[in-house]
Amino acid sequence: MPAFPTYGPEEIAALDKQADAILAVFAARGYTRHEPAILQPAQIFVDRSGEEIRRRTFELIDPSGRELCLRPDLTIPTCKWQVDSGNPYPARLCYHGLAFRHPAGDGPSQFYQAGAELLGLQDRAAADVEMMTLAVDALRAAGLAGFEMKIGDLDLFSTLVDALDVPAQWRGRLKRHFWRSGYFDALLARMVSGAMNDAERAIDALHGLDLVDLKPAIEALIDKEGDAPLGGRTREEIVERLTIQASDGAAPRLDAGVAQTITSVLAVSGPAPGALEQIHTLTKAVAAKMEKPLAAMETRIAALKSLGVDPRSVRFVAHFGRNLEYYTGFVFEFWTRGGVELAGGGRYDTLLESLGAPRGTTAVGCAINSERLLAAVRGGR
Amino acid sequence: MSDPVTLAIPSKGRLKEQVDTYFAKAGVALKQTAGARGYRATVEGLDGIDVMLLSSSEIASAVAGGDVHLGITGEDLIRESAPELESRVKLLKPLGFGFADVVVAVPCAWIDVSTMADIDDVCATYAHRHRRRLRIATKYTQLTRSFFAHAGISDYRIVGSAGATEGAPTAGTAEAIVDITTTGATLKANGLKILEDGVILKSQAQLAMSLTADWTAETRAAAGALLERLGAKLPQGRSE
Repeated sequence: MPAFPTYGPEEIAALDKQADAILAVFAARGYTRHEPAILQPAQIFVDRSGEEIRRRTFELIDPSGRELCLRPDLTIPTCKWQVDSGNPYPARLCYHGLAFRHPAGDGPSQFYQAGAELLGLQDRAAADVEMMTLAVDALRAAGLAGFEMKIGDLDLFSTLVDALDVPAQWRGRLKRHFWRSGYFDALLARMVSGAMNDAERAIDALHGLDLVDLKPAIEALIDKEGDAPLGGRTREEIVERLTIQASDGAAPRLDAGVAQTITSVLAVSGPAPGALEQIHTLTKAVAAKMEKPLAAMETRIAALKSLGVDPRSVRFVAHFGRNLEYYTGFVFEFWTRGGVELAGGGRYDTLLESLGAPRGTTAVGCAINSERLLAAVRGGR
Repeated sequence: MSDPVTLAIPSKGRLKEQVDTYFAKAGVALKQTAGARGYRATVEGLDGIDVMLLSSSEIASAVAGGDVHLGITGEDLIRESAPELESRVKLLKPLGFGFADVVVAVPCAWIDVSTMADIDDVCATYAHRHRRRLRIATKYTQLTRSFFAHAGISDYRIVGSAGATEGAPTAGTAEAIVDITTTGATLKANGLKILEDGVILKSQAQLAMSLTADWTAETRAAAGALLERLGAKLPQGRSE
């Protein structure tokens, strides 16, 4: 694909036909189509996707000085539409349209995406199955003969970190970075060696204080800085963070055995049934807490099996987190056997709340790359 | 006569004075081009060199974009203009003046923050709590992005700053900043501290060569003669 593709009559007819087939699958399951504006306020993406997505987003400024962008995905504007509309949940929405991103290499700067979002269904397990079913049916309706799947679960790793004996102040760090392989290994090593504590820290002045004395002591340290600005942070945030650090005692370290468990779990990658078995074995010591996310994964694999997807073609990859900040749990991707990513999706249970929906509004979705799917279908013939 | 080699140098400020001193020591005398109002010059005794006097940041983008062959300006500006530096610009010689550090600085009142790992934690809780990303004010968008990406941080947003960046946390337009500092006094006066591992770049003035400019045997020869006086050398040509 060139950087700025022009679709000829045959190409566009084939893409339209494929989109019709996919949208028909979505419609049959009650998903209503929406077409968000191509030009969007940059803010809604920037505040939810972080700077990594922003560097790949085409931004522009209109004559009145507003910061705009070409939508880098359709998920966020579609979800925003749902929140702003005040319509009831659960909501089933779908779309087909162009998304725009600075290509990583020589790729195209625009591509068609067909996607669906299932918002506010309380039964997460049912929602996950519905979304996978929708994606499988859509790919098949487009004429795709076979595919491989890659699945992962941010919630499974997060549960593991909470179950293991990890200093409270480091839990968030581990959960945020488990999918950045080189970086994560270095992080673990520093936690085990104690090098994480090398920086000169305010917490060193607070050791040995009782909880009741801690807060005034922290406040006094902040006051000592005089009228220095706080930025947008509050004093409570600073007190809270230091209180958590104090609960870990002086110079905390990560137990080497715990680090080994984490490393071994994250190294698990392979056909789903065997991979889950491995994780069972590796996490025996905290089996009670791991039961729930592991059972949820078994349910998903069983659902795929009943859709006629061979579990051996489904790879469970423990360190798979999808390189997008808003995912929170189960994630999946569809690939050709030749190694081209065709579609991806997953659970993002905090996005709607951040757009103004009631607390705890769930969300799961998927998006299919239309041009790649068309090429795969043609290549498979 | 064939096209001259173009050299861009600062037109004003402290950096211009330092370049003037440096040239004088190296025996390079500039002769103003008639009618160019001090924005254009030639080098006495060396043919085929066209000297352009530009602002420091214009020099960086001219070198990165191939609009001039050679330029003298701050390394911070060059790296900001040319994210893929190796393919666009060759730094020929650090000049030993114009020293400044590009640093990450946060409010002193953040007594729980002293490293990039702390900022990482703070960005995550901030985004969760305030439903928006922590803001970093800077004019160094590219440098900030790659430094933060290297530190595994993406839960933040950059807000552009054209000047007086150090005032942003007090003004309430950002939580933290990335800016240039020499002594740290301005940061301190604004209630800010530099993170222990928050030095992005130790910058100084650089003599830089554009790899994207149009180099010919003539321009290489003219540049070679000039660089010899300045104690630098052109790298072996790749595209002659």
